[in-house]
Amino acid sequence: MAAELLEAIGLLEENALHPARTIARTIRETGKDAVGCFPIYTPDEIVYAAGFIPVGMWGGKTEIHGADKYLPGFCCSIMRSNMEMGIRNAYDFLKAVIIPAFCDTLKCVCENWKVAVPQIPLIPMVYPQNRNTDCGMKYMEDEFRRVQAELEKISGETIGDAALETAFGVYENYRREMRTFVAEAQKHPTLIDARTRHLIIKAGFFMDKAEYTKIIRVVNAGLAAAGSEAGGVRKVVVTGLLTEPIEVLEILRDNGIAVASDDVAQESRQFRVPARDTGTAIEKMIGRIADQRGCTFLYEEKKTKGAMLQEMIRQTDSVGLIVCMMKFCDPEEFDYPIVKQAMDEIRIPVLYLEIEQQMESFEQVRTRIQSFAEMLS
Amino acid sequence: MYLGIDIGSSSSKAAILDAGKTLVASCVVNMGTGTNGPGDVLAEALRLAGIDRGDVRYTVATGYGRILYDAADKQITEISCHAKGIHYLMEEGVRTVVDIGGQDAKVIKLDAGGSVVDFVMNEKCAAGTGRFLEVMARVLGCGIQELSDLAGQARNDIPISSVCTVFAESEVISRLASGAAREDVAKGAHASIAKRISGMCNRIGYAPIIAMSGGVALNRNMVKMLGNELGEPVVASPHPQEVGAIGAAVYAYERAAGKDGGAA
Repeated sequence: MAAELLEAIGLLEENALHPARTIARTIRETGKDAVGCFPIYTPDEIVYAAGFIPVGMWGGKTEIHGADKYLPGFCCSIMRSNMEMGIRNAYDFLKAVIIPAFCDTLKCVCENWKVAVPQIPLIPMVYPQNRNTDCGMKYMEDEFRRVQAELEKISGETIGDAALETAFGVYENYRREMRTFVAEAQKHPTLIDARTRHLIIKAGFFMDKAEYTKIIRVVNAGLAAAGSEAGGVRKVVVTGLLTEPIEVLEILRDNGIAVASDDVAQESRQFRVPARDTGTAIEKMIGRIADQRGCTFLYEEKKTKGAMLQEMIRQTDSVGLIVCMMKFCDPEEFDYPIVKQAMDEIRIPVLYLEIEQQMESFEQVRTRIQSFAEMLS
Repeated sequence: MYLGIDIGSSSSKAAILDAGKTLVASCVVNMGTGTNGPGDVLAEALRLAGIDRGDVRYTVATGYGRILYDAADKQITEISCHAKGIHYLMEEGVRTVVDIGGQDAKVIKLDAGGSVVDFVMNEKCAAGTGRFLEVMARVLGCGIQELSDLAGQARNDIPISSVCTVFAESEVISRLASGAAREDVAKGAHASIAKRISGMCNRIGYAPIIAMSGGVALNRNMVKMLGNELGEPVVASPHPQEVGAIGAAVYAYERAAGKDGGAA
């Protein structure tokens, strides 16, 4: 195995495991400030074009104290974590946060943030319910332009079309490499195990995408050169908002379960849709959201998630589906019956794992995963 | 000889099979993981089988404490072991296993060959578990064994609407304070668990024959009420508390004999 490949993997793992350190280094090395981007989708290209580093804000394990005042225990643990860290001044280096109102909790967070974390400017945004209609796309363009104007106010600089095109190019390169990465990763289920796969993808949220893309290219080239690994692991598809805490992925790895493909909001949903060929950068950004399928948080008149997961299972020869259900995530829970039915149709077993970021005990999760692995044998 | 040891949260169970795959010993000690329970139950099983530890050719550990039991050759989950144990004890026809233990509850769906095809566990909550009944027995001032008999004498249905064990305890105290009969409240507690387990059964789609294992299967009223709730008879397994240990012993036998299909 090439030393360069292992070094690149190790670097990305470290960067993902230590977000604060990674972000601080990114800011120091690029000389750019950072803007926080809440789940699920934000117009990161506009943030990048404005001269900021977009930083993914997907929560993390922390003890909740202050956030309880705004978000009680039955709210999404990602949002509780973000709110807690905001209140504790851990995000004070951010020049702004962008919060899209994809669910009821995010809507509440928009209002709570203004009171609880007044030191960090908030840029709220809303995506249209109907993404593929002319008026829906026009609405999306207006929202993107409004976010652009807000960022211009913060930076004091106008964002030109050329900067937007350049930023979109950086992100398209990143997304193309990520699609290559997930395709290569499934050929190396031991080297790129469930934990490593997740950490490599996650690292991109804390780095300058241009720099990150250079490293992921090294990983992709190394994996391609290494050839496919022999079998021996149980391949599964994973769906959900995110797959952390990291211990869950370690238990998957320890039980010989490899993630062959994912429909995870924090992972492939961020980059699986290629851009359209024509149009301005903003139009292509709108196109990417309009073309996204099977995402719980984007309305679809005819749900395609079940068929999409069936296809992912077939394409990867996976033997099971793992649903990482973020506790109290209503949108994801609403989709579960569709997902289960789709898997029953093709006789694929489903493991329903309820997770939350502040989990401390993993014994039940361990038993479920190990039982699932035993069942797949 | 082949040993299965099931280390649960509140009790330890052990079973031993001989070279002919016959069950020669099984026992229960009411102390679980982190106590002397595993050591005591092993000593008792060896005594009952009339053998020494050195006569054991292969050991499989299961249950909540399986990871910490380093004397095992292999550890396999209680889901797989209960399925294996039921298939060993009840032979053909069982397609659904309901295992209610001290701390958790599981519903396991089997195929015709006794292999697990789906399962569901309760979340981190005592609702629908043996712990719920223990709390109810304490509030009603009786032992866990008497609770079943008490429920059998009920004349009225008193629903316990709270799912949470802590809230249910308060609800039961309120009911008793309002003059409700202990027997009726005991029945309500059983019905509450039956409803909870029924929900889990519906979630994975149960099919007859439905077998019940775990300590709560010793409670004949619970078995009956679950059957009523599901609209299908529920059969208590032989040796209900030791089913997981027996399944582990069967795995030990199969692995040692090289017959295992690769369960773990």
